[in-house]
Amino acid sequence: MKCAPFDYVRAASVDEVIRTLVGANGEGKILAGGQSLVPVLALRMARPSVLVDINRIPGLGTVTRDGSDVQVGTLTRHSVLAEQIHHPLLAEAARWIGHTAIRSRGTAGGSIAHADPSAELPVVAVGTGATVTMAGPGGTRSLPAGELFVSALTTSLAEDEMITSVRFPVPSRWGFAEFARRHGDFALVIAVVAEIEDSVRIALGGVGAIPVRAAAAEQVLANGGTAREAAAAASNEISPTADLHGSAPFRRAMAAEMVRRALAQAGVN
Amino acid sequence: MTATATDTAAAPHAEPIQATPSGSLGRSVRRKEDQRLVTGHGRYVSDFQLPRMQHVAFLRSPYGHARITSVNTSRAEQSGRRVFTGADFMHVVLRARSSLPSYVETDQPVLAHEKVRYQGEPVAAVVASDRYLAEDGLELVEVNYEPLPATVCAWVSPREPVHPEAADNVLLERVFETGSVDAAFGDAAVVVERDLVTNRHAGNPMECRAGVALWDPSDRKLTFWSGTQVPYIVRNMIAELLDLPEGNVRVVAPDVGGGFGVKSVLYPEDVALCLMARAMPNVPLKWVEDRAEHLAAATHARDHRYLIKAGFASDGTLLAVQADVTVNVGAYSVYPWTAGIEPLMAGGLLSGPYRLDNYRCAVRGVATNTAPAGPYRGVARPASVFAMETVLDAAARELGMTGVDVRRKNLILPEDIPYKMPSGLVDDSGHYVECLTKALDALGYDDFLAEQERRRGTDEPPIGIGFACYNELTGLGRAASAGPRMPFRTGHDACTVRVNPDGKVTVFSGVTSQGQGLETTMAQIVADGIGVDYDDVEVRIGDTDESLWGFGAFSSRQAVIGGGAAHRAAAAVKEKVLALAAGLLEVDAAALHIENGQIGVVGVPDPALSIAEVARVAYLESHRLPKGIEPGLEATKFYDPIRGVFAAGAQVAAIEVDRTTGEVRILKYVCVEDAGRAMHPQIVDGQIVGAIAQGIGGAMYEHLIYDDAGNLSTGTLLDYLMPTSAEIPEMTIEHVSHPAANPLGVRGVGEGGTLGPNAVLAGAVSDALGIQIDTLPITPSTIWKELQ
Ligand SMILES: Cc1cc2nc3c(=O)[nH]c(=O)nc-3n(C[C@H](O)[C@H](O)[C@H](O)COP(=O)(O)OP(=O)(O)OC[C@H]3O[C@@H](n4cnc5c(N)ncnc54)[C@H](O)[C@@H]3O)c2cc1C
Repeated sequence: MKCAPFDYVRAASVDEVIRTLVGANGEGKILAGGQSLVPVLALRMARPSVLVDINRIPGLGTVTRDGSDVQVGTLTRHSVLAEQIHHPLLAEAARWIGHTAIRSRGTAGGSIAHADPSAELPVVAVGTGATVTMAGPGGTRSLPAGELFVSALTTSLAEDEMITSVRFPVPSRWGFAEFARRHGDFALVIAVVAEIEDSVRIALGGVGAIPVRAAAAEQVLANGGTAREAAAAASNEISPTADLHGSAPFRRAMAAEMVRRALAQAGVN
Repeated sequence: MTATATDTAAAPHAEPIQATPSGSLGRSVRRKEDQRLVTGHGRYVSDFQLPRMQHVAFLRSPYGHARITSVNTSRAEQSGRRVFTGADFMHVVLRARSSLPSYVETDQPVLAHEKVRYQGEPVAAVVASDRYLAEDGLELVEVNYEPLPATVCAWVSPREPVHPEAADNVLLERVFETGSVDAAFGDAAVVVERDLVTNRHAGNPMECRAGVALWDPSDRKLTFWSGTQVPYIVRNMIAELLDLPEGNVRVVAPDVGGGFGVKSVLYPEDVALCLMARAMPNVPLKWVEDRAEHLAAATHARDHRYLIKAGFASDGTLLAVQADVTVNVGAYSVYPWTAGIEPLMAGGLLSGPYRLDNYRCAVRGVATNTAPAGPYRGVARPASVFAMETVLDAAARELGMTGVDVRRKNLILPEDIPYKMPSGLVDDSGHYVECLTKALDALGYDDFLAEQERRRGTDEPPIGIGFACYNELTGLGRAASAGPRMPFRTGHDACTVRVNPDGKVTVFSGVTSQGQGLETTMAQIVADGIGVDYDDVEVRIGDTDESLWGFGAFSSRQAVIGGGAAHRAAAAVKEKVLALAAGLLEVDAAALHIENGQIGVVGVPDPALSIAEVARVAYLESHRLPKGIEPGLEATKFYDPIRGVFAAGAQVAAIEVDRTTGEVRILKYVCVEDAGRAMHPQIVDGQIVGAIAQGIGGAMYEHLIYDDAGNLSTGTLLDYLMPTSAEIPEMTIEHVSHPAANPLGVRGVGEGGTLGPNAVLAGAVSDALGIQIDTLPITPSTIWKELQ
């Protein structure tokens, strides 16, 4: 459980990160909080030739309210997200991430880039319709979170791109429900409910390779259906797979229950 | 957590200990080891640094079962690293011996050659100047394998035997039989039958295994610092395997970060480290196991199946038990405990604290392509208690009795003592009903019953109440020695007590500690045994060059046996102090007493002499020595209780279940145990709470799962779920106190706590939902499935 050899660059600016990544020819990796990357390195499941440490780049760790959105810098630690007051849904979601030590190191951008299908922040990003901004050799670009996630642990981010911030719309009503085996575990199922511009969005995590919108369930609500009916629709429209901690039917049932709870929390009955 | 103690009738002691008002026994004195342990100054092998130290990494089999067709180390060696393979140590094997008739002896290689038998088995070792470089070196060793069919389940026929000596993979089989089982079943009003499977899990101490080995060629001496629970057994075996005089081997177990039985085994990695050190003179070789290695290759446990049938009379009397128990013992019969450790314990203790005349139980240990199974806190009984309590609950339901009544009906009572269990073990306790009653009171049983009733038919989560009664066999002497007829008997320990020239005391004890506070316990015993202040006693443990002998930490034995030896040695030293003082004072020794290090004459208020003055004479002023008394103030004694002592225990809990998610919430958890005389109440409670926490982990979270090809699916702590403090409820721990018939009146408490949770939680969930729990662990998904 020790990493394979790698070079280490402590970048002072986003430009330096991009330059280093370009120079690494696809063998470079960004090191943010290290809470997902370091275990993967220790198991030698990733063997980058260069680690680019972004932790000392100034100005990337702030949370600011901007109109109806909240702008989250990529280096914002989960613990900061849990304590900020601009986006209560994000704060609630961040409280469910791991344990204190993990929350004080792990970062918002790292969690989005890592794209774990059971992680909280990617589901909130999809649920609220967040926009991810990244820098690359050709400048910056932005992408809706729903287009970023490609499959488990894979995003459409290029090898020489870096997330710089994520913009989360603030919902007028919201709900968050998670089912996990133990306190602080990655979720078996996450449900996020966010009312944005008068429409209720539902997103689920842990039920497939990437966070998914429960479109059928949203439609049920739009048509005046009840929360229970929406929950049932959500459990039907997903295709979860089995793993050690739960069968596919169990995850389906948990998805329905978490959607029901999140809707109840949002005041949708 | 609350803790209260009530004292009831005291049993007679062989050599009653004098309780001085100023004594330390029975009080939660400050633990000797805590100054260094809680301030980060513990001395763990993992932290060891020595000059010229090199680091070892092991290359482990990626296959569950495969033939090794070639091993090529040339690239690794060309990189400047030292490499060892199975071929280097082919002449050395670990062979766990037992004289049980059916036992098939098999060999465990130090590093695998010919074939690998489980995923994670060590195949080669690389030495480098740090662990990173050693692991880089592993990637340069090329091993070719030819996969063989793997067998991971002990109750399916093997596709390819694990060992040629046992074509059916059965390494041992034994039948326990008493009474007329068939006739008793004929008389039974109710017969219940279950097929129960318990989950493979493991001790997982916070510090994984660790060792540093150093060969000093000039005086031909091997020193092995090892995070072991059994340094003397390790010394004995290392000396034999390396063909060294035992006096030339020193094993040191300094602070050890948890053991739980996992570290009471001598492992191939230990032997490899010592052999490699011998091949690299003057170079200390260090290996610290990481968690992935630990999950794959340290001993596992509790992978059992019970086909159990029990017959009851219409009044609930247990008439007969018949069981067929299969234990998955993994790929090797572990040294020294053998593949018999779990199956024989299961068969010997299955009937637990219940009266039973008619018993037939076949047990077998079956080899598979999984990590070897070994002792884990509670050895087999968390599973066997679950089996026994499950049939009691099932019978109660069929008979329309409560779970409490069926237990009260059958528990061994004080008037039955000594009670010969159907397996032949003799129960000296009998205080089970008292434990159960007290536990129910502490739970608020009637209130929970009322609340359970109130919630029926509402939307609120249903409540369930579960029970377990158990008899923990502790402090086993030679007549009931731990382990299945191994070539040695683990009934005794030694202790040396030395009063130093300044009158302070040093204790050289054969016990070892992995966090249980044995330094404190030994100091308390010796302080009170002589009559000196607890603070004036210093304890040395864990170094085979310092103390004479001790078998180590297992079978809840050290308080009883190591403690007995300390008590006897203290008594012998006290006798000499008194004889010497009597000579100096020219009075009869019988007229003297010692308290707080001061020697007084009966009837005289002021002390006549201090122990320090006596010690000075003993070492420095031989001209003052009374006639016939030798210099020095030291004694060494062994103690063997001959038999074992049973510690009675009862655990009860109330839980509620979320019907939609299958989640279980523990509302209240109670344990009442008989520690005999609790020498240090806080340590006793700590042992019980910790053991119950591990039991809850086993009942609800921890599960080592192999796929059919022999791959461990739960290879990191991401998938192998240990309970955290958030999962463990507050507990109520109470005591009954019936001192045992040994010098200190103590009963072991190290393991008992683990025995209850499987049965308690399975029983409670069944009670809440009316479902049958036949397979552990109890998880939300398994409960949810039962509810569909
Ligand atoms: C015990 C434990 C429990 C955990 N539990 C949870 C949990 O319950 N829920 C949860 O969501 N997470 C959990 N985590 C993971 C944690 O939240 C991580 O912090 C997060 O997944 C990754 O963030 P990081 O800053 O640590 O990223 P790192 O580990 O540093 O990086 C992760 C990946 O993202 C890439 N990356 C990082 N930053 C950027 C960027 N700005 N642009 C592009 N790529 C980038 C890295 O190159 C790497 O591939 C847990 C971790 C541990 C160790």
